[in-house]
Amino acid sequence: MRLSMLDGEPRVISAGAAVIAEALDQQAVPRLGVDWRPPLPGTSAALAKVLADPRRERANEVAVGRLLSARPRLVGVRPAREVLDLPPRTFFHAGPPIDWERASGPMRGALIGAAIFEGLAADAEEAERLLVSGSVKLDSCHHHRTVGPMAGVVSPSMWMLEVVDDEHGRTAYCSLNEGLGKVLRYGAYGPEVVERLHWMGEVLGPVLAAALAVSGPIDLRSLIAQALQMGDELHNRNRAATSLLVRELAPAIVDASPQQAAAVLRFVNGNDHFFLNAGMAAGKVSADAARDVPGSSLVVAMARNGTDFGIQVSGLGNRWFTGPAGVPDGLYLGAYGPDDANPDIGDSTITETSGLGGFAMAAAPAIVRFVGGDVSDAIAATRSMYEITLAEHPAYQIPGLGFRGTPTGIDLVLIARTGQLPVVNTGIAGRVAGTGQVGAGLVSPPAEAFTAALAALAAT
Amino acid sequence: MTLGTRTRIRHREPAQGKASGAASTALRPALESPRRPARVLAVFPLGVYLEIRTDVEPFVVAVVTGEATRLPNAVVLGDPLPATSAGDEAAVGDGCIEIGRVTVRVRRWWDPAPALGPLGVDRLAQMLPRFAQICDDSARRPGLDPDGAGALLASGCAEGSLTSAITAAEQLMGLGPGLTPSGDDMLAGVMVALRQFGRAAGVGKAVWMADWLAATVAFDARTRTTPISATLLHCAAQGQACAEALAVLRGIAGHHPLGPAVRGLLRLGHTSGADLAWGLRTGLAAVARLGGSPVPGR
Amino acid sequence: MTTSTDLVEVRAGLYHDSVSLMRISQALSSRPGVTVAVVAMATELNLGLAREVGFEIPAAGPTDLLVALRAGSEAALADAAQELDRQFAALARGGPSGGARAETAPRTIRSAARAWEASLALVSVPGEHAFAEAMDAIDAGLSVMIFSDNVPVEQEVLLKERARERGVLVMGPDCGTAVVGGVGLGFANVLRPGPVGVVAASGTGAQQVTSLLDHAGVGVSHVLGVGGRDLSAAVGGRSTLMALSALDDDPATELIVLISKPPAPEVADTVRRAVEGLSTPVVTALLGPGQDDLTAATEKALCALDVPVPQWACWTVPQEPRSGELSGLYSGGTLCTEARIIAGTGAFTDFGDDDYTRGRAHPMIDPTLRLEALGHASGVVLLDVVLGHAAEPDPAGRLAPAIREARARGTAVVVALVGTESDPQDLRRQADDLVAAGASVFTSNAAAARHAASLTGRVQ
Repeated sequence: MRLSMLDGEPRVISAGAAVIAEALDQQAVPRLGVDWRPPLPGTSAALAKVLADPRRERANEVAVGRLLSARPRLVGVRPAREVLDLPPRTFFHAGPPIDWERASGPMRGALIGAAIFEGLAADAEEAERLLVSGSVKLDSCHHHRTVGPMAGVVSPSMWMLEVVDDEHGRTAYCSLNEGLGKVLRYGAYGPEVVERLHWMGEVLGPVLAAALAVSGPIDLRSLIAQALQMGDELHNRNRAATSLLVRELAPAIVDASPQQAAAVLRFVNGNDHFFLNAGMAAGKVSADAARDVPGSSLVVAMARNGTDFGIQVSGLGNRWFTGPAGVPDGLYLGAYGPDDANPDIGDSTITETSGLGGFAMAAAPAIVRFVGGDVSDAIAATRSMYEITLAEHPAYQIPGLGFRGTPTGIDLVLIARTGQLPVVNTGIAGRVAGTGQVGAGLVSPPAEAFTAALAALAAT
Repeated sequence: MTLGTRTRIRHREPAQGKASGAASTALRPALESPRRPARVLAVFPLGVYLEIRTDVEPFVVAVVTGEATRLPNAVVLGDPLPATSAGDEAAVGDGCIEIGRVTVRVRRWWDPAPALGPLGVDRLAQMLPRFAQICDDSARRPGLDPDGAGALLASGCAEGSLTSAITAAEQLMGLGPGLTPSGDDMLAGVMVALRQFGRAAGVGKAVWMADWLAATVAFDARTRTTPISATLLHCAAQGQACAEALAVLRGIAGHHPLGPAVRGLLRLGHTSGADLAWGLRTGLAAVARLGGSPVPGR
Repeated sequence: MTTSTDLVEVRAGLYHDSVSLMRISQALSSRPGVTVAVVAMATELNLGLAREVGFEIPAAGPTDLLVALRAGSEAALADAAQELDRQFAALARGGPSGGARAETAPRTIRSAARAWEASLALVSVPGEHAFAEAMDAIDAGLSVMIFSDNVPVEQEVLLKERARERGVLVMGPDCGTAVVGGVGLGFANVLRPGPVGVVAASGTGAQQVTSLLDHAGVGVSHVLGVGGRDLSAAVGGRSTLMALSALDDDPATELIVLISKPPAPEVADTVRRAVEGLSTPVVTALLGPGQDDLTAATEKALCALDVPVPQWACWTVPQEPRSGELSGLYSGGTLCTEARIIAGTGAFTDFGDDDYTRGRAHPMIDPTLRLEALGHASGVVLLDVVLGHAAEPDPAGRLAPAIREARARGTAVVVALVGTESDPQDLRRQADDLVAAGASVFTSNAAAARHAASLTGRVQ
């Protein structure tokens, strides 16, 4: 047999002792050194087991292949009660499952607001009694093909964006974005919040549905790809994506509903984050395509409920692995400060799960100050994510990195080996129910969620 | 062969005055001899040439970085090149090279004429048109019109005619402009191919021809061409070549793909790579012919 | 009254390999006034060591770096702390990468292999973590040398099986020496290129044979280490068989030397059949009672190449020991075994054995334990000094005072000096210094062992 290393001059990758590497440098041997560090504590045995699994490489190839090949399209806007398995007196929420008792301020606030909106309670006190009594059933959005930003509360009367993956035939949903300031998803439930929700159900939802019927489905994969090249990272910056969406929809909105068009367009235009929810549904439908590949260590969901940060893994079905949600590090609005911040919350980490958000920071120099640091930090953040991902996205590219694909497909094994945790961009909700948004920044997921999942994968 | 543009450059000094690298075994006699004075001949961005005051070949040493063309008389440094300029004093011997205040020690030896392993004459004949095609597909051409002395060298070698070959070699030596004139590179390519392929395919006549050309070079080169080129001719006479030319030899022998290797060689210098490639082609054709294989007309 | 003052520091998330850190500890210990210097990763073992000598250690984990210094005065402590910073800065400057510098250093071999075209990988991370890096190399289609020891045998089998599928070679684990295309990897000597290909299950065995060949003017094409366990029943000679076949097809190799302990009986047959099937002649050096020693095997190889066998260089001084007991203090396991068999008597210690290297560097890098043993040896002492890449820069200089003392006590000292004229340590100068200290020096370990044995019969 021929060994290619015996032909020509050796070019060596070295990992480990410096004295061995120095000996190569003294011989003028071309060498690339690995900045090796020990894996996350306590993961050695599980790592060895998982790495040795003969299914792993192929399984990851299949799983990430599905994630990359998904072609999400926005096909409709419909009431939650029609499309989701959501009977009356059931609410979905962001993150892994949680009950009232453990729910944080903004989660409680959003649940209270939803109860009032659904007419189950007349005021906050009554809503709280109702929720404490347990007569409203709570479940995780992720269990129902759904994602929701921040508190992510979905109740039967809310209207949902419906996104279909043409490649794998799956569907995913996300609620409509309410705008900034005092909004339900940040835990606010005052009269203006509930009033806005009613308007969204009566006007915004039906008008968008009619417009989409006129325009036909919108290709989110290509829209996201364009927005990345226009400076969005699709989590904390959605200005380009929202503009592109409005450009696609505006004529149809006017056609479908001349009376309401101005109000609807003004609302959508007034909210740079309007696209976020469509992007999240696109992320969800893509990540779901990668689920349930036996032996795969690909992360298919990262989500927070304001108390726990949870992940799901392709080779581990619907099990959640959780750790305490951290408090984001970032900039605060007005007089708010870190003491006002709630721990990390929301399903919007589906953007990072699908290779966007914090992973695509290098594409969004405009917001680097908002999440702390300068442009070089943003580039370093994206570069570091290539260390823990299985692939580079063929369609989502970053101009500033020579149109390199975004780092996509988080691998549990690579996280444990490098100790490098996913970079997550996020909004910051007020700690006290009813406050709303207090800032935005970066957050680091708890390592134990990943190490627990790795241990479970080793046991399969 | 040239290493780069001819700007005068002062290199950054390595911190400790100590450097190490990998040396061609062609330099082993010079390095193992007692210390002898030398002079800096020329300084380029990627290399420094030293001339040792001796009659022993090779008397020019190229001290180069890893990015430079690895000449058969080179020491490749793992450290930055020492600061020096043309005319500076240097020394070679007692196991090291001294340039300025830097002492270079050898931590690895490499062979500038590695064995190709046994090869059939048929294989050589088969590879010839492919080699020619890759060269012709490129825009790179030798620096001299091969119809003159080149054609005489080609026919002399292929027909086993010493008189023609030696006459042609004498004409080619030093012919053309530059530090390594095209004529020298063309002749070098022929000598390397004759010796290496002749040895690998057991074609004694080709090796014999290489020996005669080597004798011609040994007798004349120092007076006919630049010191650097004379040393490279001396190396070629032993079958020693730069890394890019060696890669082409291994490509012909089937150790790796030929295309990238030939294109890598053709990229060298202004015309050096194309000159060497012409020589290797011509030498290869001669070995196939001398070995008794019918060579397709060109 | 003696006073002492402590400095204890935990640097979270800072990693350096153990050899580099031991060098720093050594450098600090030798500063004036410094009594204890521990600079190490905060593993249980190292934390325990620091506590044992009385340091108050705060909470720390294996991914943190522990610094514990004790000095006689505040000034000495400050001086040591300054030196520490200088040493760390030097390590950081050297950086993990060599000639090829990536924008950010890769964290795994997987990511390095994606960023840079390499021909092989060299793994010297701690054994429990070597599997992941080696598997990365194989998955990327690279042959890999695993210098690390303490890799479980099941992992070795898995790696070699996967490598066979990919057509790449696994050298190791616990492969101390290899030479590929003239490049010395690990503990290798500076050899001339030439026609001999070596397949070796023993690193120091390969160093002895190749150094002697070099003395005879014969060079090597490649030295392919396979790891000490390769010819066990469990591993089945997987790498040996592949290395033999690769050298058989290597144009530069005209003769193969196979160096190993006698293989497991079921493997011996397979290897013999493989050897018979090669077109390249093979000289086999099996280490063990009744077999050729390494010097004799080298001589056989020279005969096969029609090269005259030279007089193996030696420098003897007249010595008459006070007693007839023989102690062998070795750093190379194979050399130790060879000498024990040849001498037929005496107490032999292999300081390169796992029992002596846990928590400290190999004796070729750190001779402390051997120096201690030499300090109270009597009768005849037989030592090996192995030169080459990555070995101590001046072993004779470190041994000379202890040799002088031993000679003054009436102890005879014999040294097997394994190395070449081109080695960084300068074989000639090493020999001169050892002889000047009163030792007899042999370039052949077998000759050294015979000489030492003969001295036991020449008691004063």
